[in-house]
Amino acid sequence: MSVRNKISRRRFLATSAMASVPLAAPGILKAQAADTIKVGMPTILSGVVSILGESSVAGAKLVFDEFNAQGGLDGREIELITRDSRAKPEEAAKTVRDLVNGEGCNIIIDAEASSGSFAVQEVIRGLGALCLHTVSEATPLSADPKLHVPTAFRSARQGIHDAIGGGAYAAEIAKEKGLKRWVTCSPDYAYGRTTTAEFMEYAQYFNGDIEVIGEAWPKLFQPDFTEVITRILQWKPDALYSALWGGDLVSFIDQANLYALFGQMETFSVNLGDYPVLKAVEQLPEGLRSGNRYNKSVPNTPENNAFYDAYVANSGSLPTNWSWENATGATFIVEALKEVGTDDPNQLAEAIKGRTIQSPFGVDGTLTMRAEDNTLVGYAVGYGVTTPQEPFITDFHTSSWDQILELEAEWKKRQGFA
Amino acid sequence: MTNQSTKTVLMVIAAWVALIALPSLGHADKITDFIVFASAYGLLAMGLNLLIGYTGLISFGHAMFFASGAYGFGALMQSGAFAVPVAFLLSIGITSAIALLVGAICVRLSEIYFAFLTLAFQMFFHSILLSWVEVTGGDNGLLGGIPTPVFFGVDLSNHTHLYVFCVTVTLISILIMHRIVNSPFGYTLRMIRDNERRAIYLGVNVFAIKLTCFVLSAVFSSVGGIIMALFVSGAYPDFAFWTTSGEAIFMVMLGGVTHFLGPLLGAVILTGLNDVVITYTDHYGLFLGSIILIFALVLRKGVLDFVQPHRKRSKTKTSAEGASHAET
Repeated sequence: MSVRNKISRRRFLATSAMASVPLAAPGILKAQAADTIKVGMPTILSGVVSILGESSVAGAKLVFDEFNAQGGLDGREIELITRDSRAKPEEAAKTVRDLVNGEGCNIIIDAEASSGSFAVQEVIRGLGALCLHTVSEATPLSADPKLHVPTAFRSARQGIHDAIGGGAYAAEIAKEKGLKRWVTCSPDYAYGRTTTAEFMEYAQYFNGDIEVIGEAWPKLFQPDFTEVITRILQWKPDALYSALWGGDLVSFIDQANLYALFGQMETFSVNLGDYPVLKAVEQLPEGLRSGNRYNKSVPNTPENNAFYDAYVANSGSLPTNWSWENATGATFIVEALKEVGTDDPNQLAEAIKGRTIQSPFGVDGTLTMRAEDNTLVGYAVGYGVTTPQEPFITDFHTSSWDQILELEAEWKKRQGFA
Repeated sequence: MTNQSTKTVLMVIAAWVALIALPSLGHADKITDFIVFASAYGLLAMGLNLLIGYTGLISFGHAMFFASGAYGFGALMQSGAFAVPVAFLLSIGITSAIALLVGAICVRLSEIYFAFLTLAFQMFFHSILLSWVEVTGGDNGLLGGIPTPVFFGVDLSNHTHLYVFCVTVTLISILIMHRIVNSPFGYTLRMIRDNERRAIYLGVNVFAIKLTCFVLSAVFSSVGGIIMALFVSGAYPDFAFWTTSGEAIFMVMLGGVTHFLGPLLGAVILTGLNDVVITYTDHYGLFLGSIILIFALVLRKGVLDFVQPHRKRSKTKTSAEGASHAET
């Protein structure tokens, strides 16, 4: 045998081994404790929105750690198994199947963005696991009866709730200040377009003088907003509404500051009120109107402050909107587990349906999982005004849930959802 | 039927029996999920390899056909007007029509120009999926699940039925592709790949052959898309994004461009790696990138490209008839 052949064979064997290990490994390497209650969480842990996954995990973990520290369910602790879907819906769907079929999770916390959540919803329909959607704000996920799955719930904000609350607030400010000519600047994808349309619909519903004179649709993750900013300035509006979020919003504000844009118009930004965003802006302008995401002063209660402190101590980072939404989903799971004493998905779903929990994030100290459409109501909706220092948002105006629920019911009828 | 054909059919039947029996070994749902997922991408990659490996045309836009299969099938089933087999065939027909149109423009070009034009068509198709919200659901994809009424006693909402159906469809597709590449048409593709001018001088209608291959390639990729749509009960714009095409090309290169089953193996390896990496770490890119780097540095070609010469050398030693020819 030649030297060359020896090397080739070795290389061949090494290659074969490398190729076979990944295929065999998932089934044989992962040993899980048999007596834990497994909760699977598909989310986005890589890429430009990895903060979504990181703060979602931290929010849920905070609640589960406390549950486990108190002895769990008759000694059975909750084991949170996270998976990175890389923001791909098909990967999210496959991951959920793997978590349920492979890992034995009867409970799923779906911390995916909207498109992933719709994919997860369909998988849950087939698998029958309990599912808490903790991030998606897309209204149809829970509002459209065609999409309804008995064991799936949403413990997150819902677009239509924020639109009604925000629209009412915007209309009131517009009346006070005579803001008639409005422009919008939102990301060019389904969330941005839907949220903007709903906000402006309700702003005009409450104030018929409001007129939209221009719309700018920057691409998602667009680095340079110069063209958008100059176009907005050319329109000379009285007010600007934006559904930009995360890094895009930070870039927009930083770049708009160079053009002194915010001194020339009132600005309403639904996604500004998150600590990481507020702290990332180089010079946060005073007086921007910010929608509530998460703020320890909204509502300003000892319980909410305690959550903030515990979250920071536990994760080493600041809480986001996704943090409270996941903490809420986890709380519903824990409360249901305590009631039924088993992780049977159907029994847990029955226990969660219509349930009201004590919560630091509720406007009256409670949150309810509405039975008619398995969605969360009672959380803090509204707008405040930015200030460069802590608490970053002041003069918070809390929207009335009576008004939100009444108009939501009308909206559902118009959409054919009720 | 020749001995070779009989042998191939028997091998496919044996593979079918083995795959159907495999879940009984344990972890049934996990194994079947993996096989269905890998089958979908495997067909995408094998379809693509008809162009890359056999015709020498590198398409950067093949995810377009993966998506057209998924969206076509999903939308037809959601309309409630079609049975599964009819929607299956119609969505393949829709993909064929799109491929005929796109291919008629693209196959006149070669090398980088062909690649970029297919990429451009794919991005155009992706934009349509995002914009035509009433039909495609826009960014959210086809919502509401894909209904699958029972046909001939097959209930695709039952996971075992779905698995058997997907395995059967995949193996039939592979068998058809095998027949194609071993037919005179398949050898003509190789001739065009190796020396297009020579093929023209021999009277081959190169344009027609390339176009036919382009359409066939799209059809098999769309079958992969249909399987994926059934598996996730939806269709998403990501299916048509350039990264999906990139993954398919990587599967082809990883498994082996010169071997018929190379792309399928590439799909299995990449899907398996993906499962392992996301199970054990959140640093997906870092680990998968490192593993792929090792593959690339050690092998410098696809797995089966590497294995094939060894098999040939071994056969040379043991058989007086000499080594069998490489399947390409």
